Amino acid sequence: MLILLLALIAAPAEAGAPDGGVLPSSQANAKKPGEAADAGEDEEALRRELEKALGKDAAAAAAAGQGQSAPPSPAPPSATGGAAPPPPLLRGAQSFNPDISAILDATGGYQRRPLQFPNGDDPILRGEEGKKAVGFTAQEVEVAFSAIVDPYFRGDVFLTIPNQEGLEVEEAFATTTSLPWNLQIKGGSFRSAFGRQNGQHLHVQDFTRRPLINSAFLGSDGLRGPGVQVSWLSPLPFYLTFSAEAFSIGAPGQPEAGATLAPPVASFGGGEPTDLTYTAEAKAFFPFGDAWSVYFGLNGATGVSPGLFQPTETGVNVLGANRRSYLAGADLYVKWKPPNVATGYNSLAWQTEAIWRHLEDAAGVPGGWDGGLYSQVVLQVARRWFLGLRGDVLGIPTSSSLGQTVRGSASVTFQLSEFARVRGYVEAEHVASGPSVPGVTLAPVVPGDAAAAFLQLEISMGAHGAHAF
Amino acid sequence: MAMRRFVLLAALALCAPRPAAAALRVVSSIPTLGSLAKEVGGDRVEVESLGKGYQDPHFVEPKPSLMLVLNKADLLLHVGLELEIGWLPPLVLGSRNPKIQTGELGNLDCSRAIPVLDVPTTKVDRSMGDIHPQGNPHYWLPPSNARIIAGEIAQRLSQIDPAGAATYQKNLAAFNVKVDAAEKKWQPTVKKFRGLKIVTYHKSWTYLSQWLGLQEIGYLEPKPGIPPDPDHLFRLIQAIRAEHVQLLLAEDFYNLNTARLVAQKGGAKLLDLPTDVGAKPEIKDWFILVETILKQLSSNV
Repeated sequence: MLILLLALIAAPAEAGAPDGGVLPSSQANAKKPGEAADAGEDEEALRRELEKALGKDAAAAAAAGQGQSAPPSPAPPSATGGAAPPPPLLRGAQSFNPDISAILDATGGYQRRPLQFPNGDDPILRGEEGKKAVGFTAQEVEVAFSAIVDPYFRGDVFLTIPNQEGLEVEEAFATTTSLPWNLQIKGGSFRSAFGRQNGQHLHVQDFTRRPLINSAFLGSDGLRGPGVQVSWLSPLPFYLTFSAEAFSIGAPGQPEAGATLAPPVASFGGGEPTDLTYTAEAKAFFPFGDAWSVYFGLNGATGVSPGLFQPTETGVNVLGANRRSYLAGADLYVKWKPPNVATGYNSLAWQTEAIWRHLEDAAGVPGGWDGGLYSQVVLQVARRWFLGLRGDVLGIPTSSSLGQTVRGSASVTFQLSEFARVRGYVEAEHVASGPSVPGVTLAPVVPGDAAAAFLQLEISMGAHGAHAF
Repeated sequence: MAMRRFVLLAALALCAPRPAAAALRVVSSIPTLGSLAKEVGGDRVEVESLGKGYQDPHFVEPKPSLMLVLNKADLLLHVGLELEIGWLPPLVLGSRNPKIQTGELGNLDCSRAIPVLDVPTTKVDRSMGDIHPQGNPHYWLPPSNARIIAGEIAQRLSQIDPAGAATYQKNLAAFNVKVDAAEKKWQPTVKKFRGLKIVTYHKSWTYLSQWLGLQEIGYLEPKPGIPPDPDHLFRLIQAIRAEHVQLLLAEDFYNLNTARLVAQKGGAKLLDLPTDVGAKPEIKDWFILVETILKQLSSNV
């Protein structure tokens, strides 16, 4: 993989020479336009000769060439035309520091925490699961660094501290910028492109908590971890990308002996240290006029499930360990937003995502299918006001190990500026049936109802962020 | 199957020679830059714009379909000064086009040689609104700046396509002659505006005001990007009355309900003006754009 990566990175310097980094060295010719045409026929031969001469240093030479050629170069005398020379420019201080930003989600309110399916970035007030609590939390502090690394990479690092506890590397990855053939490679630790919400950070969510299917199927922190992603933009006349990823997902923590409830069966993190989690995604985008957009995705993933952790008085029984899991998902995002606000400040976004999971049979534990979905609508009713509604269902069309849970949530977001918003959020969750494994008696989920009402303040400091569609 | 197709397509992409006569694909963030590229590039370039002339260039939706446009670009023209910071960078990264990445020849920040106005002289923070720390990016209307942009584009096109350098220089010279002629034609109108007091919606008319000698009394937005509040509007209306401001200028992509009220209460006239090529179908190039603005100003003074 590493060799392939290096080979591909070096490739543009050779394959892409006509438009790539080598061009600047031929600029000497360009100053005398008349000569450029004559040189055209010999271009190919010259390029070959140069490639040969430069050999393995081509990439390095290209890098140096680009550095000299781009913005700082003064205009050649012949190119300024009739215009008077511009006055000396006084510009802001330059630095090579990365763009830095810090994002805070400060949340307070009432909560009776659900027993199952917590997300890593949920607000946690002081109460234990199932107990009532009133109070405040710094739901998440995120510090982000990003920069163009060199002519070949862009780098992004996102560190987060959820609920004042421990620094996490939410993402830290490099993305290639100069691969040929519409390829892009991402390496480091990052969020998978599986589905729509999984790739998004907390502060781009329209609700205070992530949907149920996130922690039920992808893990409490979503499907993220150290890995590599290769993605390809197809040359078709509409936007279509394919991506494939491999991750090293660690095993989730086991419950303590004597705990009353078995945590949900995780999809990934079991097996041997050589077992990786693999995903594949296809995403297609269709604009309809200026206002309507449809973004559609199909996702697949496979890994090794660590099994069901059944706590006992003295320890933890692991049932059905090391079964292969297969996930299939589909996501749909439909947005209506007029190209400008001349006729009003309204927009509408509808997002739906479903995941199905199959676990293979294991000794004493039959396999089966679990499914779940959420659907949400966010309506912009005024320049600064957004209303959101979301419904979550787990256990449809079938449930083999996760049980059936439903949740309803509503949000009202007041966006003061691009850098600050206040959100009111309410939710109610009901467990219709808890986790189950045929032939095994598991403790029921008691209480089966949870509810929360939060006020969330989100501020973003530093570099102006840019978010994907 | 998918893999085989992938390999096949990759192989095709590799083998396909670049046709010598194919036009350079120029993609601009706003249509006016594309229009200037067409003046300079002539038949040697094909021009497409990501944003539309009737869109606020700060807030273009970063639709993935725009990555597809950028994917095939030989040259990306952008306004710079962080005008497009909220939407362009992810599109450029997602385009998977090595040619137009930052620092490459195919990525031209058109503000390079512009004498930028409103460059903050003290430390900035966002209590001042959504300001641009490198200065005001709405610079493309005055003829002097259009000449500079066209010159920059001609230079960059010559670097990317040396065989066309002579054509680009010829076209640039022709463009500059046209600008000279237009300026001459506009001269009597332009003279009328000197000292004219105006109020604008966003602080995006600074360069036009400098060119025409307009006097900006205030702005509908209390701070750039921050929606007006009643207190601010009250003071603004009083200022409009006290200073006998005749005109309130606003881009035609804003919601003008508030602006209309302020104009009416203050006794000024609201002009919703285009600021970009393509704001209306008949605004096909920079000349028509500027002439439309001047005509509308002129008929209301």
